[in-house]
Parts: sequence; C-alpha cells; structure tokens
Amino acid sequence: MASPRTERPGIGGAVPRFSWKISIAVLVVLGLTGYSVAGTDFNIVELLRGTGPAERFVSEMFPPDLSAATLQATGTGIVETFQMSFLGALLGAVVAFPLSALGTQEIATAGASRSERLLRAVPYHLSRMLLNVFRSVPDILWALVFVVALGLGPFPGTLALAVHSAGVLGKLYSETLEAVPSRPVEALAATGASDFQAFLFGRLPQAMSGFTSLTLYQWECNIRSATILGFVGAGGIGQEILISMNLFDYPKVATLVGATIIVVLLVDRFSAAIRRRLAY
Amino acid sequence: MISSPNNKSSGRVILLEDVSVRFDGVAALSDMTFEIEAGEQLAVIGTSGAGKSTLFRVLTRSVALGSGRVTIGGQDLYSLSRRRLNGLRRRIGTIYQAYNLVPQLSAGVNASLGEVGGMGSLRTLRAFLTGPDAGLSERVRAALEEIGLADKAGVRTADLSGGQQQRVAVARLLVQRPDLILADEPFAAVDPVTTERVLETLLHLNSEGATLVLNLHDVEIARRFPRVVALREGRVVFDGPSERLTEDELASIYAGDPSREESARNPDPPFARHGNEGAIRLTEGRDGVSSH
Repeated sequence: MASPRTERPGIGGAVPRFSWKISIAVLVVLGLTGYSVAGTDFNIVELLRGTGPAERFVSEMFPPDLSAATLQATGTGIVETFQMSFLGALLGAVVAFPLSALGTQEIATAGASRSERLLRAVPYHLSRMLLNVFRSVPDILWALVFVVALGLGPFPGTLALAVHSAGVLGKLYSETLEAVPSRPVEALAATGASDFQAFLFGRLPQAMSGFTSLTLYQWECNIRSATILGFVGAGGIGQEILISMNLFDYPKVATLVGATIIVVLLVDRFSAAIRRRLAY
Repeated sequence: MISSPNNKSSGRVILLEDVSVRFDGVAALSDMTFEIEAGEQLAVIGTSGAGKSTLFRVLTRSVALGSGRVTIGGQDLYSLSRRRLNGLRRRIGTIYQAYNLVPQLSAGVNASLGEVGGMGSLRTLRAFLTGPDAGLSERVRAALEEIGLADKAGVRTADLSGGQQQRVAVARLLVQRPDLILADEPFAAVDPVTTERVLETLLHLNSEGATLVLNLHDVEIARRFPRVVALREGRVVFDGPSERLTEDELASIYAGDPSREESARNPDPPFARHGNEGAIRLTEGRDGVSSH
C-alpha cells in the first residue's frame, strides 16, 4: 500500500520509495526467476550429488600429460587458435569500419528536405541491418555454416570469427562515433565542411582511441571463442580437446585446457594493459 | 560570397525578418527582425536564455527555423541547397566559448581546418592522410605566428591551455579569412590577456572587411562596440550605439537574472551557467574537448 502523502515529505534515501512501477518490476523479476528455475530443472541437491563423478573426472586429469608429443600438439593448437583469433578480429575490424561509418546517424541538418533525409536513411539502415545479421548469429553457428561450405580446418573458423567480429565491432564503432562530443563536429559543419569532411576531421579522430580499445577487446573475445570453434571442426585447440575427450585421454585434456587458460589470461592482461593506456 | 569585394563597406549582409524559433514548444526567438550591414562590428548581449546562442545557430542554419526569413548575402539561407549552403558557410567563420576544436588533432591541423570546406574530396583525403599541402601549411604557420603560438603547431590541442585553444580557434579564422565572423561568447572562458589578444585579431579582420558579430556576456567589452543589440526572452529590446546603453537600459535588459546580479557584486564572470538549450556549459577546456 502506498503510504498516505504527508504535508512535507522527507528527501528520502538512495533506495526509491514505493511506487507501482517498481513493485511490478520486482514481481516480474520474481516471476521470471520461478519460471526459469522450473523450466531448467534447476536443483541444488542434484548439483551436490554430482560432485562424486566430477571429482573422479578431475582426478583422472592428474597428472597432466606432459609428453613431448602432447606438448607439441598443444603448441600447434594454441598457435592456430591465436592466429585465428587475431586474423578474425583484424578482418572484422576492416569490414566493420566502413559499415559503421555508413551506420552512423549524422547530426540533424536543419532545413534539409524530405528527399535529402530519405537519401541519407538508406545506407544507414542497410548497413545497420547487415551488421545486425552478422552479430546476432553466434560465431559457432557461422563456423558450422563455413565448415559445411569450405570443409574442416582453421580457415572456416577464422571466417566465422571475422563475420561475428565485424557485426559486434560495427555496432560498437558506430555507437562510439555517435557518442563523440558533437560540438567540434558541428563547428566544422558550420564553416562549410561536408558530411564526409566533418566525419573525417571531426568525428573520426575523437573515436580513434575507442576503436583501438574495442578491437583489442574483440580480440580477447575471439581467443575465447576460437577455443570452442574446434568442437564443430573449425580448427584451433578445441579440435584437440574434443578428440582427447572422446578418447578418454583426460591427462591430455588437462594439458590442453591448462594451456588454453594460460594463453587466454595472457592475452587478456596484454590487451587490458594497452586499453588502460588508451583510456587516459 | 557574403559580399563582393567592391561593396565591402556598404550594403547589408544579414537580414532577419520575423524570425521565430521554438524548442519543444518553448519560444527561443520570437518575431526577431533586424539587419546587419557589411563590415559592421556588432555586440549581442542579454541574459542566459535570452536567445543569443540560438540567434547564432540560426545564422549558420544549425537549428530549424520556426517561421520568418533569414537572408545572408542576398540569399535566403533556409531555402539553399546543401551545396550552396556549404558554399555560403565557407564564408562564415565561427568561434565559441568552448573552442570546439578537435582535441586529438594537433593545433596546426585544427587551424588548417578553416580551409577544409573549400577542399575537394581528393584534397581532403590527402590532407587527412599526410597533412595540409605546402601552401596551406604556410598559411597555418603564418596564422599561428600571428597569434603567438608558432611553436605549438605540432602539439595535441587537448594538451593546450584554454586560452591557447581559443587562440588556435582564432588561427583557424585567420586561415579561413571569412567575410562574416560569428563569435559566441569567445571570452567567457579565457583570461583577460587572451581576451585582448583575440579581440585585437578580430578587429583586425574586421578592418580588412569582415563583418563582426559577437555574443558577449561582458557588458564592459560590449561598450567598446559601435552597435549593441540586446535580447530578452527571444526579442530585441535594445538596438543602437553603445553610448545609449544607460544603466537603466541595462537594468531592464538584465532584470531578474541572478547570474548578472551576482556578477555585479563580483567582477569575475560566471563560469558555469546554463545555456539557451538548457545544456550546462563547462569552461576551462572541459566542454567538447575531453578525450574519448
């Protein structure tokens, strides 16, 4: 119940006062939680009962297989994963950049005619639509598509990462371009710069450090994704992991997974350090 | 062209007829009518929210026009095609309270952007990739020298002080050589020395034929202009020589403006105020110049 309004209400704390909107939002969250728990057979007891087999699985992984052959296979897989993720991010960025430039809403041009506005809207919506398709299909699905089309190996995996990266980066790039302080851009337009010129000299320089940071982050994401693309035959260390799993060669799985974790952490650290320096 | 070279000292450059602008139903300018002669020096004063900045944005067609007509250099501003509009804007130079330079570019490149409107696509791309060509570089260097920043050409604009950034904005004007200069509170965020230096350069450009229109919050500087236009609630309430600007006139122009009453007691200009559109204006180079 809403408390009766007093003459002089207090200022209140950071927690919002009673309101129907918030109450309904809380009820919706609670309802969805119950619905999802029921739908997924979520069961804590079941989870605890599963610790036995899980323990056996983990203990069978030790000691990890550190034979020369395994280490060599791990190294090859890791290098391939690294190359896939890097090339995927780079190709993605190359494709994303022009699409994001087209997919950036230019500042409102006062007094522009209806046909002028329409003409600008066409490339905007086309590139946004393309980027949405690239992004909304997960990279593992793109990998399946490319494996079917091109056969097994790291090449289809790289393409899958590139397409998904292009979608993600394109959206983030155009958001960065739109969020840039607009006054310098407007100042250029006010002294006769064309849209292209205002973009090149006003918007782009302000967005550049953001672009670099986003691309590095996408590379981080790609190296994580690249490790599982092997599960559908698209190259990388995932393929080795899947084969060893199927052969119940758990010590080898331990080596492969351990190496993956180390590389992912290293790339994360490296890219985070660079991104911190860019953000000053 | 705003004015052809042979009639620079005569004829009107700007004509506003019954101009009205509304933002979300709130009138920013109401039935504004006045004209500006070629080569004139004009100061526009008024409280924050009186419509000064809106007036400036109307003169570059940066806001939609509610009703009325704006004629610049004999051309109906709001019915120009995009290409003709850019051609006209190329002859208009602007400087702002917040400098509005591109902070990541060097001072020299920012100054060279005074010319960008006149570049073709190829020259634009070349300037983007390898910097301005030899002729333009020479003019940029001369402009920076004129405002005393010759040694800062290669420095990132974000690393310059506010006063230095405003001087770079003036160097951009010197490169552009416009026929009409619109300065929107150019002294609100800079020190007195920079103020004098910038004003001197603007007057110098004026003596070479450019029409000068300044938005000022400082009445003392406005008094140095031959003609003053005062706005109040989107209307012209005073238009005449600055000698006629009596204390009584000022009192009615600024009636009920707390920031003005404040500054009457305290000679420092108010540093952060609300602009016409309700946006908070930050000064000291923090507005529009923050890095990403």
